[in-house]
Amino acid sequence: MSIDRRKFLKSSLLATTGALASPYIIGPVRAAGTVNVGVLFSLTGGLSIIEKSLHDATLMAISEINAAGGAKGMKINAIVEDGASDPKTYNEKASKLVIQDRVPTVFGSYTSASRKAVLPVFEKRNNLYFYPTYYEGFECSKNVVYTGAVPNQQLSNFIPWIIKTLGKKKFFIVGSNYIYPREMAKASKILIEKNGGEWIADEYLELGHSEWGSMVNKIKGSGCDVVLSNVVGDSVVAFYREYKNQGLTHDKLPICATVTSEIEIAAMGPEYAVGSYTSFPYFQAIDTDRNKAFVERYRAFVKDPKAVTHHALESSYFQVFLWKQAVEKAAEITPTAIREAVKGQEFDAPNGHVKIDPDNLHTYLTPRIAQWLPDGQGKIIDAYKEPTIPLPYVAYGETESNLFCTAKGLDTSKLKI
Amino acid sequence: MSDKRRFEIAIYLAFFAFIMCAPLVLEPFWLNRIAKYLVFGMLGIAVALSWGYAGILNLGQGLFFGAGAYMLAMSLKLASPTSLQQGSDRPVPDFMLWNAEPGSPTELCCINKASFLWLPFQHQWFGVFMGLVLPAGIATIIGIIVFRKRISGVFVSIITLALVLLVRLVVIDAQPVTNGFNGLTDLGWFKVGEFEFDPYIVPTYYFVAIALCLVLAAARLLIETRAGLILQAIRDDQNRARYLGFDVPLYQTFFFAVSAGIAGLAGMFYVVVSEFASPTFMDLTFSITMVVWAAVGGRSSILGACIGAIVINMISATVSETAGFAEAWKVIIGLIFVLVVLYLPRGFAGLAHDLLDRFLARGKAAPSQHAIEASDASQLAE
Amino acid sequence: MLEVLFIGLSVGSILLLVALGLAVTYGAMGVINMAHGEMVMIGAYVTVLSGIWLGVNIFVAIPIAFVVTALIGLAIERVIVRRLYGRLLDTLLATWGIAILIQQAVRLELGLSFFGIHIAGLGPGLQNVSVPAALQGTFMLGSAEINRYRAFIIVVTAVLTAVSWLIMYRTPFGTQVRAIIRNPKIAAACGIDVARINALTFALGSGLAGVAGVMMSGFKTVFPDMGTPMVVDGFMVVVMGGVGSLLGSVFSAGILGEINGLVAAGTNDILARAVVFGVVIMIIILKPKGLFSLKGR
Repeated sequence: MSIDRRKFLKSSLLATTGALASPYIIGPVRAAGTVNVGVLFSLTGGLSIIEKSLHDATLMAISEINAAGGAKGMKINAIVEDGASDPKTYNEKASKLVIQDRVPTVFGSYTSASRKAVLPVFEKRNNLYFYPTYYEGFECSKNVVYTGAVPNQQLSNFIPWIIKTLGKKKFFIVGSNYIYPREMAKASKILIEKNGGEWIADEYLELGHSEWGSMVNKIKGSGCDVVLSNVVGDSVVAFYREYKNQGLTHDKLPICATVTSEIEIAAMGPEYAVGSYTSFPYFQAIDTDRNKAFVERYRAFVKDPKAVTHHALESSYFQVFLWKQAVEKAAEITPTAIREAVKGQEFDAPNGHVKIDPDNLHTYLTPRIAQWLPDGQGKIIDAYKEPTIPLPYVAYGETESNLFCTAKGLDTSKLKI
Repeated sequence: MSDKRRFEIAIYLAFFAFIMCAPLVLEPFWLNRIAKYLVFGMLGIAVALSWGYAGILNLGQGLFFGAGAYMLAMSLKLASPTSLQQGSDRPVPDFMLWNAEPGSPTELCCINKASFLWLPFQHQWFGVFMGLVLPAGIATIIGIIVFRKRISGVFVSIITLALVLLVRLVVIDAQPVTNGFNGLTDLGWFKVGEFEFDPYIVPTYYFVAIALCLVLAAARLLIETRAGLILQAIRDDQNRARYLGFDVPLYQTFFFAVSAGIAGLAGMFYVVVSEFASPTFMDLTFSITMVVWAAVGGRSSILGACIGAIVINMISATVSETAGFAEAWKVIIGLIFVLVVLYLPRGFAGLAHDLLDRFLARGKAAPSQHAIEASDASQLAE
Repeated sequence: MLEVLFIGLSVGSILLLVALGLAVTYGAMGVINMAHGEMVMIGAYVTVLSGIWLGVNIFVAIPIAFVVTALIGLAIERVIVRRLYGRLLDTLLATWGIAILIQQAVRLELGLSFFGIHIAGLGPGLQNVSVPAALQGTFMLGSAEINRYRAFIIVVTAVLTAVSWLIMYRTPFGTQVRAIIRNPKIAAACGIDVARINALTFALGSGLAGVAGVMMSGFKTVFPDMGTPMVVDGFMVVVMGGVGSLLGSVFSAGILGEINGLVAAGTNDILARAVVFGVVIMIIILKPKGLFSLKGR
């Protein structure tokens, strides 16, 4: 009897080890006529609420491209990984996609923390990362294509408009405590002073923190007439709710946000945001046939007639098309060739015309401002007529004629504090 | 040497051999991944030492892990090409530049109020030294304050929990000095002499593996010293050990500090293999997850906790790459954890020990053995 | 100034609301229930679900949540906690495991999402509860503008504390619980059915957590992870207040709330939280048994 049990234990141990070990030794098989890409977003954890929509938009773009014949005649095969809302996991999955699966490109990341955690993988292995989310700038990596807005595409239109058109001059800047809101605040202060306003306060609250009583009380007593919000994540919901609960209204003291999008509005209930403003290149309410068709297709793809689209989602969508165009132009399917080919690529995205800047690999986008309506959609009240050049170092004095980030890299001598 | 002892040594040697042979079959990506799990194995050892042997349930082990990681990461950051003025003897981390007030000098000593703390980290070995000394030092201070006051059990756990949350908040808040939530990234590689430890090459794997074997052996031998035996006596009944004249707080503090030092070492190795340090190392969930590894593997078994950590993470990674199973895996591990706590308090290592005992005892089916077992059983039943 | 104090009071009342159930279970049974935060989360989800499926508002959701979470608490006690009697740290860990399972159950919509079935109101997304109009907005108290919903929470917390006190000190059940707190063996020897009382105590604690969840849903987003930070805060309040002392929990919640409010008004919220942690650590070190502790056990 004991011999049988030992045999059983031994054989099951071997079987399990074998089963567990096999994926380590055999990698993914690449069928002829296909090209693999990595898709790396958080499908679980606190950030999955937003990142899942970015994942869905990416897959939708891939399926549309495949239905139209693929890239250079090859079908795109998406290898999906879950970042689990944790930078450590992002780092690990990025390594897997780049080193084991050997994909020529990965589409991914929402937070700057996750992008920073995967950057070493892409830079040291000379691979390519397409990052769809608006961020704080100050990056000039040769291995990342940035398709989200940078501060000059969100603030350079917003601040002057608030001061001149809205007539508000005293800013209370509030944000979540990490690099994106802090850098946005820095860029904002420069713009505020340049346009003749003044900033009264620059306060931060921990990411994910939802006790806003003290902060809103501070806002009330500060004497400001507009709140510039760089608050991120589910703190946004608690913030807007507390705002209304403490009796503040958006017609007298509006919240002007850089992050609050259709998703956060849906989560908090539109009644809390009515009358407030947000600045993004893309809003679901953009009134063009192309955008309306895009929203319909997205809703059909995720099988949710009430799904909302937002800026990072739209960037996740159109960046795949830019990539496809680069692949068709490139001589071979390698990260370096694709990167060279993507420079200057243009596409008619749902938000308008977009172009990848050949110098800094960021994207020309059209800045817009919207005011939120009771149905959860934005009414676009200001829009540039054409896309604007992306300047990731605008807070340090970068201008269109004096670029800090070029194809040669970052010119650190220009970076004076 | 008894049979059991011989068997145990064999198991340890088999484990060493197993992890040393990994580079023969694995390719660089998996090698790096397994190296990360070996680091977690080190953490499992730290937890087992603290909890299984000293009886201190540290719910904030992430504090020591993170401290060790940040110390080395600071040095590696200054050595990285992204630190301005690189090549000169005055590097300045790039994030300090971004966070600086307009008009500050671009010198490490004075670019912001606390940046001078970074000055000594220009020497990599200072970072290594601090990575061991800081966690052990913090643990010693905690131990001196807490154990001398005879605080024990759940209160110690709550203090460790509050501490890790506190430090995490402070690290995130002190953005000019620590780069806040994004952590320290874009690091240089760890250097010994002229040799650089690229995270994906075989020598790096061996570096981690050998370190793990040394820590494993050292911890195992440590618990067999007189100090280790006294520690176990303290764990079993603190007051009795006190009445017998042993300086209980001294032993508790010592082992708590050793456990913290191992966790700090693990933190440093993690930075070497994954090239970043982040405040998420000090998340509460991560700290408690370490306890889960040790519980499932066997809290009172150094090797058990180590293997538990490695295996759980391996399965977790593989399963999460199969669509749809990531969430289900969390359910499975939660279930296993609850069952282990209820029915297998000594973890799978405990189960292995029991099976081993039964296997060895069956070999000598002497009536005297049965009589001894019977009398033991009747004593336990009281 | 009055408004700053009010906010401190409000933060304290929210702490107490969560900690009340914990004080009951920890005080009576010495059990560290890491799943307590999940009970709060379930209470919040009950509010969401009853809003969607039964069309009722917050007030009606309160008794429903109480019953649901009390039953779940009863189940947990019967199946898990009972077997770990005396093993404190193991109870902590086992309940942490239960907490993970409950979180996943909500995320995976009770497993049905595997089959493609989605239940509105569950799942990994954020949920929303609409607050009755009577509780929105502010009212004036002297020179201060007081938020109605926060005042409502303070009122509910006060009522629940009073009810808990009544149960503990004016009912036969409460007397039995207090007897068990002092010395379980003697209590058993006096004929008290310790097992049954423990089960009911745990159920009561969980039910209180459920009501706390209903209150939370009105001003916090409802999502599966919302429970974890609450159990940490709850524990600190209870451990600082002292084992088995309701008064201790009330005091420590009040103190911690006001400290948080004042420091936040003076500097920032992050430092305020750090100071609160620091205060808790100091108090545990200086008075290890808590501010008010009962002799015995």
